[in-house]
Amino acid sequence: MVHLSSLLLKKYHGGYVVIRLALAGHKQANRPFYRIVAAYNKRARDGKYIEQLGSYDPLPNIYNEKLVSFNFDRIKYWIGCGAHPTKPVAKLLGLAGFFPLHPMMITEAERRRALTELTATGAEDGLQEGQNVA
Amino acid sequence: MAALGTARCLFRTYSRVKNVQKSKQILVRCSVRTLCSGTQDNALLDRTKPQFTDPAVQDILTRITGLDLQKVFRPIKQELKPPTYKLMTDEQLAQAVELATEQAKKLLQMPPVLPERKPINDVLSEDKILDGMDTAKYVFTDITYNIPHRERFIVVREPNGTLRKAKWEERDRLIQVYFPKDGRKLSAPLIFKEENLKMVFSQDRHEDVLDLCLVQFEPDSSDYIRVHAATYEDLDKHGKYELLRSTRHFGGMAWYLLSARRVDGLIVDMLKKELLHDAVSLVSLFHMVHPHSESAQEAASQQATGADLLKIYAQKESQRAGYIELALQAYQQMAAKSSAA
Repeated sequence: MVHLSSLLLKKYHGGYVVIRLALAGHKQANRPFYRIVAAYNKRARDGKYIEQLGSYDPLPNIYNEKLVSFNFDRIKYWIGCGAHPTKPVAKLLGLAGFFPLHPMMITEAERRRALTELTATGAEDGLQEGQNVA
Repeated sequence: MAALGTARCLFRTYSRVKNVQKSKQILVRCSVRTLCSGTQDNALLDRTKPQFTDPAVQDILTRITGLDLQKVFRPIKQELKPPTYKLMTDEQLAQAVELATEQAKKLLQMPPVLPERKPINDVLSEDKILDGMDTAKYVFTDITYNIPHRERFIVVREPNGTLRKAKWEERDRLIQVYFPKDGRKLSAPLIFKEENLKMVFSQDRHEDVLDLCLVQFEPDSSDYIRVHAATYEDLDKHGKYELLRSTRHFGGMAWYLLSARRVDGLIVDMLKKELLHDAVSLVSLFHMVHPHSESAQEAASQQATGADLLKIYAQKESQRAGYIELALQAYQQMAAKSSAA
């Protein structure tokens, strides 16, 4: 018996369900807070969603943590219904250990490490030059 | 036309369903996380010596807690309501008192005494490739509704790429964030610091501190045990057992003093208040918990009961033997006088 929910979704909207980050509290400037949400593909980013599956706070708190919550039970259900996670959601789930690691995460980490090395060597060069001048 | 469209959709969804099942299997294999259960150590301990939760122990502790209705139902800070007056016959009054005793027993339920929890140090995976991905840690909580809080998955991804389980303090904090409990704060109130505790004890407000502690901390966290130990020590030092007499914390205090073998103060206090039965039951509980002590073996050999038990305990175990014997004599004189008069 075919799972009826994906069939209904297709017929109803002609689109598909995605699991993505929607910006919440959009009346506050400079304080982002995302809801992890199952919504139709064509809906507005912050518009009506089907179900909220979690939250993500990109600004670290006093303990230097970024809080992410997932309702794994419902995420499993929606993925079972044929929902597609977007890239940031896939990255977060990869960090959590639920999905395998996203290749872009690894690339990002490598790029960051290269950048820090550059700045470190740049600072050293600057120091040396300063010493030479003085 | 519509039928064709539906048939086409069915076809497509069928193929997607097959793929979804395959990807589901991969996902199930990926999400491998099991919490180890540390209950096997507790089971071993249970068999050797009587624990706090044994029915016999609980029975004795409830008896010595006492049931002072006036103190249990004394006015606490509530919303202001005008009092209700009812006209009752004597029978109805007796029934109402019975109901009140039932409710008082429920209110006097003892909070659990558990051994301190062991710290969690589980590392789920070490991914050196992710080293330096971010400056902050990522904390992932599972907010599925129907799991007990002890079994929730809370993991932390450090900036150096290690994926580890969250420590107990982080777990408590995050569970309070996502499933807030009444009265609990995210960071512990300043009253639980050492200096502030001393001030509160000088004001004789041990009960309030213990109630706050019960609401704020888990029963097996180190903070809970530390605060309770400090409170009981202070009570023992000043002999202020009356403060906790008809509250739910009395059993916990008695158990702590029993484990530390310092019940003398409590026995003296009981004899002064002429509660001979309570003192006797306390000594018998002591013998149950420490069956290898001298007084326990002596009592078992002599099959003593009542005041004799107290005498044996006073001779063998206590540091303040003189006190206890004096108090016993005074009590027996009082009993003799009251029976004569």
